[in-house]
This record gives sequence, C-alpha cells and structure tokens, in this order.
Amino acid sequence: MINLIEKLACIPSVSGNEDGIRNFILNEVSPFAECKVDKNGNIICFKKGKKRAVKKVMLDAHMDEVGIIASSYTSDGFIKFQTVGGIDASVMLCRSVVFENGVRGVVGLKPVHLSDKEERKKLPCADSLYIDIGAANEQEAKKLVKLGTTAVFESDFTKLSDNTIKARAIDDKAGCAILINLLKEDAEYDFYGVFSVLEEVGARGARTAAYEIDPDAAIVLEATTAADLHGVQKENTVCKLGDGPAISFMDRSTLYDRRLYNEAISSSVKCQVKSMVAGGNNAGAIHLTRSGIPSLAISVPCRYIHSPSCVANTEDIYNAFLLSKEMMIKVASGKLL
Amino acid sequence: MNIENLIKELSSSVCIGNIKKASDIAKKELSKYAKVRDFGTLGVIGEINKGATRTLMLDAHIDEVGFVVTSVMDDGFLKVSNVGGIDSRILPALPVTVHGKKDVSAVFVSTPPHLSKGEDKVKDVEDIFLDTGLDEKVSDFVSVGDFVTFSSKTQNLSGTRLSGKSLDDRSAVACLIELASRIYDKELPFNVIFSLAEFEELGTRGAKTASFELDCDEAIAIDVSFADAPDVPATKCGKLGKGGMIGVSPVLNRRITGALINCAEKNDTPYQLEVCGGTTGTDADSISIAKSGVPCGLISIPLRNMHTPTEVIDLKDIESICDILEAYILSGGGIVD
Repeated sequence: MINLIEKLACIPSVSGNEDGIRNFILNEVSPFAECKVDKNGNIICFKKGKKRAVKKVMLDAHMDEVGIIASSYTSDGFIKFQTVGGIDASVMLCRSVVFENGVRGVVGLKPVHLSDKEERKKLPCADSLYIDIGAANEQEAKKLVKLGTTAVFESDFTKLSDNTIKARAIDDKAGCAILINLLKEDAEYDFYGVFSVLEEVGARGARTAAYEIDPDAAIVLEATTAADLHGVQKENTVCKLGDGPAISFMDRSTLYDRRLYNEAISSSVKCQVKSMVAGGNNAGAIHLTRSGIPSLAISVPCRYIHSPSCVANTEDIYNAFLLSKEMMIKVASGKLL
Repeated sequence: MNIENLIKELSSSVCIGNIKKASDIAKKELSKYAKVRDFGTLGVIGEINKGATRTLMLDAHIDEVGFVVTSVMDDGFLKVSNVGGIDSRILPALPVTVHGKKDVSAVFVSTPPHLSKGEDKVKDVEDIFLDTGLDEKVSDFVSVGDFVTFSSKTQNLSGTRLSGKSLDDRSAVACLIELASRIYDKELPFNVIFSLAEFEELGTRGAKTASFELDCDEAIAIDVSFADAPDVPATKCGKLGKGGMIGVSPVLNRRITGALINCAEKNDTPYQLEVCGGTTGTDADSISIAKSGVPCGLISIPLRNMHTPTEVIDLKDIESICDILEAYILSGGGIVD
C-alpha cells in the first residue's frame, strides 16, 4: 500500500490535468474490475463481488491534487501564476516547481537582507509571487512554458519514521491507494469505485459520477487536516496521527448521515472522530446529487495538508482501508440503511 | 569534474558547524592542484607555492546558513534557532535534514488555517517547531546542539542557470577550484593560497583567523550578491548572467579593484560593478583589516533568493569570474610597485 502511495504521489495530477494518474490507475485496476472513463474524466469501476449488493455502494477517492497554473509573463522572463485549489502563500515561497512539460522553476522572493522589518513580518500576497525558470526574457519564457501549463511543487517521498511518511498530495493519493487495493482484492458484495477528477476546484467530478452511478450510499475516502502539533490545545487538533482514520459528523459542506457515522465510530477498527467542523470534500457534492445520497467520510489524518510536505501515518491509512471495507459490506448487505 | 557538476556536488552537500562533508569534497578536488591542509576548525587551505616573493590569498566561504537544535520534545518536535540570516516566512512545511546521530528528515510546522484565524502573522524561527515524525524515540537520534540544513539538491533550470541551497558560497568555492586547475601548472608571479573559510555566516569568523595565520600580501574575496528579480529594487542588485560583480568600496583596495576591472575590459569579459558605501558584508571586510592590513578586492556572483533552498545562479557569471581572476593572476595583480 505504501509503495503504491509513493508511486501515486510522484505522478503530478493538478485538477483538470489528470491524464497521467488516470492511465496509471486504469492500468492497476482494469484487470480486477469493469472500468470506464466518463465525459469528465472520472474513472468509474464496477467490482463484481461474491454476492449481489442489496444496497448499491459507491466509494470515492479523488485523483486530482492542488497545484499552480501559468497565467502570464513578466517582460523580464518570469512567470506569474494562479493556484489551482487552495495553497497558502507561506508554503510556496522559495520552493521548486516542475511544470507538466518537465520545465523546472523556483518561486522567488526578495532576499531577507533587502527586506525591511515590516516586510519580514508580513507574508507577500499570492498575487505578487513569480516563478523563475531561468529564462532571460519574455520570449524565452514563452517558448518554455505556454500559458495554462500546470505545475506541482517538488517533494520527495520520504519515510520520516517507521510509520510516518512525508509526500506531496497525500490528499488524496492515500484515498486512491486504498480504493485501488479494495478493487484488487476479492469483494464480498458488488460495489462501485470512483476515482474522481476536479475535487480541489469544487468537487466537480464526484457530482457527475454520483449521478451516473445513482448509489444508495457513498463512502468518501479522503485526507483531512491534523493539527496535533507541539503546543496545540487538544480541542484544536481536529484529529491526531496514529489514532486511526477520522470520521466526520459535519464539515463545511456536509452533514453526514448519522446511521453511517454512528456505525463507523463504533467499529472495532481503530478510528477517531474529526473533532472540528471545518473543510469539505466530495461528500458535499455527492450527498446532494439526485434526490440525496447518504454519505460517510473516512479521512486519513494529514499534517500540513495542501503543502508540498504532507505528513501522515501509515497505520492510519491501513485502518482507513479496513474500516472502508467493513462499512461497505455493512451497507451493501442491506442491514444498515 | 566539470564546474557545473562540482557546483552541484558541493552545494548539495553540507558544511555547518561540525558537519564538514562539503569541505571534504572541496579538499579532495583542490588537492589535485594545490597542497591542501585543514586550518584548525575554521576552514581549509590550499597552497600553490611557486617560490615567489609575494602571496595572493583567494577567499570563498564554505559554510552555509541553517539552524541549530535548542530543544528536543518527547512528542517528536524540535525547537531550533537560526545559524546565519534566515527568512522565517519561507519555513512553514519546508523539508530539512537534522544532522544528529544519523541524518533525520524533518518538516517545519505549518500552522493550519483554523489555528491562524485568518491572520498571516509571521512567526520567529524559534516559534516554528520542526516535525520529525518520530515520538519520544527522537532523542535516540537528535540532541540539543545538532545542526539542521535545507535538504534541497541543486538542479538545472533552463539554459545555464542552476537552483539549489548554499550556492552561496559553494559556487565560489567551485570557481576557485576551477581557477586552481587553470593556473597550477603555469608560471605565476605570485604564490596563490586558496582559503575556504568557515563561519562566514556568523560574522566572517573563519576569514578573520585565516587572514591572520596566512599573512598574505594581498587578497580577493569571492562571494555572492543580489541579482535582479521582480520584487528586488533595480538599484540594489546586479543582473543574473551579465558577469561577475566587481566590488567598489572604501574598505576595498582601489588598485586591486582597478586591476580587476582592467583585466575584464582587456579581455572583453562581461562584468558589472557593485558599489558599497562602506563595508561589503563579506569576508573582505575582515581580511582587509587583518594584522597591519591586507589590501583586498572583492568579486561577487549575482544570485537570487539568497539564503533559501532555491538560490539561483548563472554559470556564465562563474565563467566570467574565473576568467577575470585568471587574467589578474597571470598579469601580476594590481599592487606591484
């Protein structure tokens, strides 16, 4: 599973530009499930189980990630950009980026030596940032990077300790890895798996996939903010690395189905309640699709989410896998809903 | 090794405090052309002795900016203080390497939005903890006093430009090694001593003691200076790729400065002038007042994003400086009576 996350994390997949990761995932899962790619680019997989499902379950993991997109040039050959999805300016300063065509650049910043006291205490606004690709002038920059080209921040996959990893876009390559593994192994009941596009720009892929599948319930495999940092009060940590996947009762886009939520948190699989109403994910779109689809979110706790250096616990990822399998069986059997 | 590879290898390596991996690489390369010795704890010295009556000292500092661990917490977080000038705005979610009993990868904490309450308050280095992903086991590997460095590897941007950490001042170290390879087998009017000083970032300490010990007749420091970027005032910087920046300052020797300019003019070598009203912020400030005074010149490599993991240089500028210094040495320098 961890090797798979490493491979997935190393494939850039900025929203709207998911071709590479889609091909990789299709290659992984098509021997094990019926797969089709819909008009938006979502992969919709039907996995045949040992038994027919009484209730149709859809599992969702988004394959896109946050990144940046080239939006204009300066006359001296620097590239101005916009973020695709939410990225804080503080984690972009002086980082390396790689464009989809392989061109490398760095986000520049006036040296601290030349910044006055006030400047040093204030983050530059995202609009003032620029990328230096080494071009000497605008013409050279235009040749190397066309407007609309996306880029990701460079980040090695690193094992920090026996069970913590650091990588870019653990949100939501961890969810993709879990879903790939669920599709690869024998399933108790038939189910649908969706690798969705465009989550980071407003949960746009999952909406149409859910319409197409028309499930009785959805399980969203995600990553969520963990603020279990030194000095942070327990009530502000949201969730904690190592305490298992975080189960949401409510976030800024969804009030989750209480039957699914209660069942999940009383599972024997190690898990925790996401203790803050914050953020949102594909459930926000899915639970309002058609006449409404009961939804559950199982999220891998992730420190520094949406930064190039996400940190997560591998046992949490494995427990998210176990819990999603258990919940899928319970729903599909018809005993829960 | 060609100069590009040498710069990459030196800058991707580490020299801070007691960690001297980059010095070892420099010693090995420099010893092909010069007699090399360690100079106490404060640097490396390479000597090309031609039995001449005068000796020229060429200085480039081998140390880099970074951090030192000041507290090890049992939840796997570390508190650090800066070693040299660091812009704390770039730290959130930045990957670094802790040089403990073994190298430990770590990430600077990035405070999630729900805890920063929408303010973009910039914290001091001492208030941004380092996350090692370890628990109480952290103390098996990390102790107070261990040094921490940026963990980026130097890579190519487009054309002749490179980006990485500690190009300040490893690219100058590489420049001197290249220069040594050009002159070691020639007849020279001077003996030439290469001084790769440590602790420049803590107030040119290595250069102070080295210039006392070596007691040379004249000296030239090779350091970096600010290069043009969209947010850098044009009056405070040189231009990347337009040649070495010859320093003009009251603390520098006018005859040496004049000779450096002459050497560039005579050979049509691209160069720029950098005028300082007083001290230069480089080893030249200390060398020039060693003992009863050492006439000293300065030439700087234009560099963007100084003291960050993504400094940017242009190889053309290194070439220019190498050419100017070679011409300077072969022509007998600037202070012959």
